[in-house]
Amino acid sequence: MNLIGISINHRTSSIEQREAVHLSLEEQQQFISLLKNKLLKEGFVLSTCNRTEIFGIPINHQIHPNLLFAELINFKNVDNLEFGNVESYDSENALRHIAHVASGIDSLIIGDSQILSQCKESFRLSVDENFSNTTTRKIFDVAVRIGKRAIKETLISQGAVTVSYAAIQVIEKIFANLDKKEALIIGAGETSELAAIHLNSRNIGKITITNRTEEKAGKLAKKVSGSTILFEEFKNHLHKFDIIISATSSKDFIVSYSDIKSVISKRKGTPIFIMDIAIPRDIDPKVKNIDNVFYNDIDSLNIIVDQNLQKRKHEIPKVQNIINEEIDGFYNWYNTLGIVPTIKSLRSFFESIEFDELNKIKNKVSDEDFVKLEEMTKRLVGRILHNPTKKLRELAENNDDLDKTNIHTSTLKYLFDLDNISENGNKE
Amino acid sequence: MIDTIHSLNIILPILYSLTLGIYLYDFIKDDSKVHNAKRIFLFITLLLHLLYLILRTIEFNHPPITNKFEIFTVLAFCLGFSYFLLELLTDIRGTGSFIILFSLIFQLISSFFIQDLIEVKEVLRNRLLGIHVVSALGGYAGFTIAAVHGLLFFLLYKEIKFNRYGLIFKRLPSLEILEKLNFYSVLIGFILLTISILIGFIWLPIAFPKISYVDPKLISVSIVWLVFGIGILTKLIAKWYGKKVILFSLIGFVIAILSLLVSNVFAQTFHSFY
Repeated sequence: MNLIGISINHRTSSIEQREAVHLSLEEQQQFISLLKNKLLKEGFVLSTCNRTEIFGIPINHQIHPNLLFAELINFKNVDNLEFGNVESYDSENALRHIAHVASGIDSLIIGDSQILSQCKESFRLSVDENFSNTTTRKIFDVAVRIGKRAIKETLISQGAVTVSYAAIQVIEKIFANLDKKEALIIGAGETSELAAIHLNSRNIGKITITNRTEEKAGKLAKKVSGSTILFEEFKNHLHKFDIIISATSSKDFIVSYSDIKSVISKRKGTPIFIMDIAIPRDIDPKVKNIDNVFYNDIDSLNIIVDQNLQKRKHEIPKVQNIINEEIDGFYNWYNTLGIVPTIKSLRSFFESIEFDELNKIKNKVSDEDFVKLEEMTKRLVGRILHNPTKKLRELAENNDDLDKTNIHTSTLKYLFDLDNISENGNKE
Repeated sequence: MIDTIHSLNIILPILYSLTLGIYLYDFIKDDSKVHNAKRIFLFITLLLHLLYLILRTIEFNHPPITNKFEIFTVLAFCLGFSYFLLELLTDIRGTGSFIILFSLIFQLISSFFIQDLIEVKEVLRNRLLGIHVVSALGGYAGFTIAAVHGLLFFLLYKEIKFNRYGLIFKRLPSLEILEKLNFYSVLIGFILLTISILIGFIWLPIAFPKISYVDPKLISVSIVWLVFGIGILTKLIAKWYGKKVILFSLIGFVIAILSLLVSNVFAQTFHSFY
């Protein structure tokens, strides 16, 4: 199969280099029209924060993956990338790489399920831009099916692999109904935002944000449908919160041991989850010694993240098996593509003979007899073509007999001169 | 019928072992294939166990409460059945292996030592006594289930507290759920024990005119009842949560086991019918 492609990803390049070749949706559209006229008949362009990939069927055999890279460099006007920053693929390797990407096993975070929807969007864009045809559409189908099966049939996308998400996993082991719990986020930076978004996605009862700059707190609160509390006052309300997440840039502790001690006595022992994701820390780590206080910092939550990543790595062979199955299926289909025109030509050729011969006797027999003859010749042609068509399809669907298929197809073409037969079965 | 009873007596420990094995396998492996099958296994085991208890009652013309080993098989059934109901109602399936283990132990001891008693004291054929004993056993089953959930609460509490994210962390439900399961089991056990005590107070003076209220069994059961009662009140009135409430149920369970041992093995009581 004449499929080629290039990939600039987290293994081959730095974040700056990946950013330099990142293509926005508009750029992807422009780049596709460039590729269509110069290098590829059909294909797709995928560009995420971690990878940019260009794959497709070249317009001729002289087109090499390096030309795709040169075209991209030229289009983006980039000078900080070399050929060493690119992985190039052709034929089955290219197909396998697309499968690896769609299944998430090639992602920076193994099993990242987001990549499948990003692939789907790229495939959709290819279709919208008339940059796809039978082969690429089939490749899209196979890649999406592999991605879906990997998620459904393996544990490749299971378990928390970020600190914020790992915190949710711990919270869910403490509390039964998150919709009845209240959370306080101290700080309104990027880390706090991620934690707040994760909590919000788990339908936490109420999220309150406190920050030295009130305006920033307000903005984040709006994002997660929460409320705010003045930074100077939050300590007076600490006992109301079941979950406290802190991520400020303060140099000293902002919540002390005695603060939490008094909180827990006001709560009559009802547990409290504290997550300190600030460096240096915001909450005195000694609070972990207080009964019913579940304290976590980045180090402790990283244990969960590492465990889950290990688990995901163990699932890779299962995903590989799915990829192998689907690629076999793809080749079964692809190999039949070559014989379809031959079968069509053969059938047209026989049908044209049938038509000619019937025409010759049309005026020599009665209408009734003609109908009978017409039926008989149709059956005759059908029976003659049945075995060669069946055998050829069987050979094509069996990957091992590829050479045999080519020999038989060529022999058929040669014997019946099928290369010179037009679509209606007549000699050209 | 007697052959069926004897066969079931051998089959039941095997079935409990198999059910426990499947529950344990699912707990360790979290294999979705046996996730639903284990409940079916438990159901079949309980169904055959119920048949065994009914057949014994019919064949020997008395409820199976006439000796320790008959009581053990009823207790094994009560534990398994209570857990089965709990699993059906809450759909929490991670704690089964810890409770079925108790069913297996009780059934195993019973199967080894149980005897076919046809001739028993007339008092043991009394229906009220049957309800009295079965509700007491139900109560103890409730306390056992509560204790198991209490222990699991402590195990999970320690895992989270010390950031150890092992099998217990992965497979058990949340602390709040374990606390609820513990509390509801205590509540059900307490209600059943109260019923048993009430029946006892009404019926025992009629059956035993020389009844003594300083009987070791009555005193020990009263202590058990009191400990669980205080535990329930602290939860409902003082709004205590978690470890402190669970501690009551664990202390209550230990006292209950000790009182059973003391009153049934070492002390003389009018409760000793056999």
